[in-house]
Amino acid sequence: MEAFCAKLADILEVDEVRPEDRLQDFDTWDSLSALSIIAVLGSDYGIQMSAMELRNIRTVAELTAAVPREKVES
Amino acid sequence: MYNPLDLTGRRILVTGAASGIGRSVAILSSRLGGNLALVDLDETGLEETRIQLEGDGHIGHVCDLRDIAGIAQSSTKIARDWGSLHGLVHAAGLPCVVPLRVLEPDRYREMFAVNTEAALALVRSFQSRKVYAGEKGSVVLISSVMALVGSATVAAYSMSKAALIGMARSMAIELAPKGIRVNCVAPGFINTPMHGKVAKFWDAEQESRMKALHPLGWGEPEDVAGAIAFLLADTGKWITGTVLTVDGGYSAQ
Repeated sequence: MEAFCAKLADILEVDEVRPEDRLQDFDTWDSLSALSIIAVLGSDYGIQMSAMELRNIRTVAELTAAVPREKVES
Repeated sequence: MYNPLDLTGRRILVTGAASGIGRSVAILSSRLGGNLALVDLDETGLEETRIQLEGDGHIGHVCDLRDIAGIAQSSTKIARDWGSLHGLVHAAGLPCVVPLRVLEPDRYREMFAVNTEAALALVRSFQSRKVYAGEKGSVVLISSVMALVGSATVAAYSMSKAALIGMARSMAIELAPKGIRVNCVAPGFINTPMHGKVAKFWDAEQESRMKALHPLGWGEPEDVAGAIAFLLADTGKWITGTVLTVDGGYSAQ
């Protein structure tokens, strides 16, 4: 989980992300950060998430919940 | 009846032949009289292509183009067992939609190997006496409109496809004395399985914006296959080291 959150923080160019943070509240949240998340989920975790699916995810907690735990921790 | 696109008696190797542009150019080339060596990693897709070919004497060969060192072995084996080659079409390719901020080498190496390094290895082995038939040689590398115009998130893909254009020009000069022509075709977005993999990164608004960039709408694999056949056949016999853009008007804007 920590590794995934660190990658998410890198993408959003912040020091850390918290579960309750809303993705759209980050001032770096844009279509490129969304695509970056989709790319990382695909290449590092083998999860194919579409742009439409990501659009329905509001918080960091919801995003990490969408990633199976064993994959997040591996 | 005279057919300037006649490929009778030509043996042509097509990579990426299990789907999309590769499958389409293989089918068209067989209808024009050519014999096809179909190469892909997807054995089921290869067979689906093979049964759609006209005429006899075609073969399928399962090959992983990420294994660059194995490419020469595969093409030499095909030439020895099936016949030396007149044509080569490198249509195998992988997409790569990754914003710069997460564009680490591990996220584009596989794509670069298949799209670009494999192309170099394929032409290198094609031009050898063990593989090349010695006449009417034509190589067509499938580049992309993304090699000619820019777009966000495809820097690595653009790199892989622009490299093909550069290498095609230099190889065209080096191989002209052997009678081998080397050209690129640069398609816009084509309705193929790869397009589906890229389109999932788009929402509805992005999809309609991308479609609007193609004044003639999305292309079909057959639209590109015709351009490739033109370069394979004698219609292209004085054309080498160039890029034929087939993009529905994308890059005209």
